[in-house]
Amino acid sequence: MESIWYKILGAIITVIVAFIVGLTYMGLSRKITARIQNRKGPPFYQNFIDALKLASKTSAIHHGFMQHVGPAFMMITSIMSVLVVPILTGDQWFSNLNFKGDLIFLLYIMVFGPLGMALGAGQTGNPNSAIGVTRGLSQMVGFEIPWVMALVALMMQYKTTSIVDLINIQQEQGVWLMFSSPFAFIAAVLAMLGMFRYSPFDIVGAPTELASGPVSENGGKYLFTLMSSNSIFAFAKLTLYVDLFLGGASNIVELLIKTFAIYLIPMLYGTVSPRYRTEQAIKYFWGWPLFFGFLALLYAAIF
Amino acid sequence: MINDKNSQKIVDIIQNWSRKHSIWVLAYGTGCGAIEIPPTMTSRYDAERLGVRGAATPRQADVLLITGYLTTKTLKRVIRVYEQMQDPKYVIGFGSCTINGGMYYDSYNTIKVLDKYLPVDVYINGCMPRPEAVLAGFGKLQQLIAEGKANGATKYKENLEWYKGNQKKIIPNWVMPEYNW
Amino acid sequence: MSTIILIFIIFLGGAILTFLASALKGILKEVLFLASVFVPVVLFFTNISIGQTFSFQAAGFAFQWGITPLSYVFALIVAGLGLMAAIYAVSAMRNKENTGFFYFNYILTIMSMLGILFSRDLVSFFIFWEIMTWSSYLMVVYQGKDVQTVGIKYFIFSAVGAYAMLMAIVVVYSLTGSMMIDSLVQSFPGFSFDMQLLIPILLLIGFGVKSAMMPLHVWAPGAYSHAPMAYSSIFSGALSKMGIYGMVIVMVSLISHIPEGHWFREVIAWLGGITAVMGTLWAIKQDDAKKLLAYSSIGQLGYIIVGVGIGTPLAMMSGLFLAVMHALFKGTLFMVVGAIERQTGTSNLTEVTGLIRKMPWTFLASLFSIIALAGIPPLGGFIGKWMLYESLIVSDHYLLVIVIFFSSTAAFLYCYKFLFGFFLGQEETEWSHVKEAPAMMVVPMLILAVSTFVLGVFPGLILNPINEAMQTLGYANTQGHLWEMSVIFNEWGNQVAMQPIVYTIIGIFLFFLTFLTIKGYKETRYVTTKDISSSGEVPKEHENLTFSMNFMQPFFRAVEPLMRRQIDKYYNGFANGMEALFDFTRRIYTGNGQTYAMYVVIFVVLLLLLKTPFSDN
Repeated sequence: MESIWYKILGAIITVIVAFIVGLTYMGLSRKITARIQNRKGPPFYQNFIDALKLASKTSAIHHGFMQHVGPAFMMITSIMSVLVVPILTGDQWFSNLNFKGDLIFLLYIMVFGPLGMALGAGQTGNPNSAIGVTRGLSQMVGFEIPWVMALVALMMQYKTTSIVDLINIQQEQGVWLMFSSPFAFIAAVLAMLGMFRYSPFDIVGAPTELASGPVSENGGKYLFTLMSSNSIFAFAKLTLYVDLFLGGASNIVELLIKTFAIYLIPMLYGTVSPRYRTEQAIKYFWGWPLFFGFLALLYAAIF
Repeated sequence: MINDKNSQKIVDIIQNWSRKHSIWVLAYGTGCGAIEIPPTMTSRYDAERLGVRGAATPRQADVLLITGYLTTKTLKRVIRVYEQMQDPKYVIGFGSCTINGGMYYDSYNTIKVLDKYLPVDVYINGCMPRPEAVLAGFGKLQQLIAEGKANGATKYKENLEWYKGNQKKIIPNWVMPEYNW
Repeated sequence: MSTIILIFIIFLGGAILTFLASALKGILKEVLFLASVFVPVVLFFTNISIGQTFSFQAAGFAFQWGITPLSYVFALIVAGLGLMAAIYAVSAMRNKENTGFFYFNYILTIMSMLGILFSRDLVSFFIFWEIMTWSSYLMVVYQGKDVQTVGIKYFIFSAVGAYAMLMAIVVVYSLTGSMMIDSLVQSFPGFSFDMQLLIPILLLIGFGVKSAMMPLHVWAPGAYSHAPMAYSSIFSGALSKMGIYGMVIVMVSLISHIPEGHWFREVIAWLGGITAVMGTLWAIKQDDAKKLLAYSSIGQLGYIIVGVGIGTPLAMMSGLFLAVMHALFKGTLFMVVGAIERQTGTSNLTEVTGLIRKMPWTFLASLFSIIALAGIPPLGGFIGKWMLYESLIVSDHYLLVIVIFFSSTAAFLYCYKFLFGFFLGQEETEWSHVKEAPAMMVVPMLILAVSTFVLGVFPGLILNPINEAMQTLGYANTQGHLWEMSVIFNEWGNQVAMQPIVYTIIGIFLFFLTFLTIKGYKETRYVTTKDISSSGEVPKEHENLTFSMNFMQPFFRAVEPLMRRQIDKYYNGFANGMEALFDFTRRIYTGNGQTYAMYVVIFVVLLLLLKTPFSDN
């Protein structure tokens, strides 16, 4: 039984690290955005203060049971994906569940939360929430296609669906998949723009027209849960990209550098872009990303 | 440990510190003062460096910013928005109109003294107050929060009848849910 | 007397008795109905063992009834769902007119489905198939609405399918001289290539109609939504699986013997893929929950057809597993719609809102089913979807897997639309009188919903009979290699172990649910759905702010080109062309004696004119 407790401890540490790193990255993104806009910007730890403040709100309202369930579902998605994605290669402590999961499982657990959150948002009865949800789901159909194409190309090329195997292949070959499967990487990165929901794909939250969409009725502890969930989820997604295309990371410093490099892509793209409309976003994803997805599949089929 | 008086104080200090440095503003653009918000938020004055940031809905906001004159018609909505905000919450009266009516002192359909209807924590003087003044106002609010003196919401709850009486005097057809915190 | 024949006698007797008893008031007919479903099903589970056969001679044909491992899997669906839907139906159909007729058809349908599964010869197979078609047709027109369009459509397609099948049976009989399915399977490799192509195609037309395969699906949306919901749940859940059952036999036992038969498989799999996509897209567009579920059934059956069509061990397993899962969750969802329609009087998603606090148990059942339908772990739908994707990836179906993935991602849209439309959104005073459905309706739904969860955690429970069925079909044993009790593998050895995942998920969920709901932590209170941050405006009691019209409009702006063509229009065009042809023929066959007399004279004259030159030679 001892080993199980160690596992649980390792999992908790993983989640806490993911929480801290995710929030720091979000804070850094605010800082960098501010510098690009020629502002001083908030301190990089601003998001921790925000989270603390949200947690210390003394009252909260809910519109029914699903509003509790929604953030909890969102948390399931974030924590499960951070547990399933291999954080550090070859590390016993933080291996968590990643030998049990594979990419298809990960794909499906990653949509659990948004669907749960959508239900929570629906319960509030705010029309803005429902509109945001429909936009989010439509956009998801958009970016999932190139993303899945990239993943399928990888899986078929290397005859495995396990992330750990893909990392091992990269380490054996000494070449990152980013270079050995370039089209898959491009398709996946373009899909990532939608996954992170920065501009021009921030059509779900859309603070100016939808009043932050699905979360518009959530304050205090609900918003705190969602914020932590988002930061953990962001870290999980970044680590997944690093694992798949950048050869994984063997220590925490390498991991931070690589994840931050990936994180800069959607963030910097976002700072210089206005917002798309929903169908424009979908059509964007079914344009060039889809083309690169097809190239990736072709590449995988030939080699 | 939490129930101990001194440690409770420490928790309060930490919480107030976080509240002080994270002010999410619901800028209710009621009057002309709303035009001063964009420069305050954007590159020139950059209120975000103080942790001031716009919130989209009252559920997420900490501070209700009444920017300028309030017509009696708008007052109803403002009260509603204030009541929907989550504790702890603060109100900033922005511009002379919220203090004594300003240039609308003899208007028939604006309210003159905001404090009679909502508990104002900080007034920002001026017509219009420049962004520097707005930032000074936020600074004052931060100071009050840190000291634990920004307790407008508690004042509102304690004197609810008085506030409601004033509000109902101004708003003729009162069909609003009761405030039940 | 054999138990097999006893089962059918009880079914038949029960059907007739219930029909006769319908004149009586009171509880008697309901008891009779339940008994005549319950007793044979219990007999089936207790006394029927695989391999037990019963043969007799009649009308010059040898009949043989018995159960194979494959038909046992499908019989589990029919018996289990049939029983649950029967309990539901008693409560749902109470106070309706013509209940005797409903019960009669219901029992006949269950009987005929079991009969199809029991038949080891083509004659009884066809007879039971026709009973099934007729009883379901009578159910489609039961409510008497749109008989001209919906009923006729179902009838025509069923007839086309049945005659294609009959033709195949006649061909088989003329070639082999035997009506046994086994002898067909054994002698099939010896047939000529034409026959090897003709027989499966004819049979697949018959089965494709029932399993709503593109382009034979046009009857399904109308038929599923027009039958009473208590019946639709077995209509979509079990009856459509009969087509799948036939298809499995054809794909595995016949087509694998055709030289170059894998092209055939590819075509079927792609038809399944297109069915899945189009079914899903049209489902998103529907505003009527019944129609939505009907189209969604078409889409889900598409996945099953893909799995059966590909035919690798994993794909076949996923097809059969999805067939079971689809019966569970789609059966439940049709029941949910039935319950809501009974309580509110409408099944329109744009009218009904905010039922979650009024019908919490119905909501719970539909939440489970929807999560299973969407294929989200840890519920059962995920296992099937996972196996389907892995099998497609392993067998190098590059594009098909993308098509399937598109369809299943788009399925989230209608999943959300269903839940949001009925249960979430603003609570309206119009529906404030609505109460939870009676226990007899809720309990079967909950049982089915919970079983999706159980099968999600322990897929081995159902994969075990599937494995046995596949072994008799000629596949190798897959236990331990592709699945264990709660672990599933793909052919490259990658695995998903459900148990630790489920425990982690439950742990996280409970932790954060406690964190969010606990009373002492924060001052949390409930507010009504009218108390929303709508720019300070207070919505009035009668004001409906729910967003439900044109729900997925932005999505449809993007996928517009895909949906411009409808297969329905082509069929209509075909029908119009035929009608024109018949009009023309009517001008010749006027029905007037004098015209016919003139035709005869003209014919004779022509004959004489033509004959004279030739007769000279």
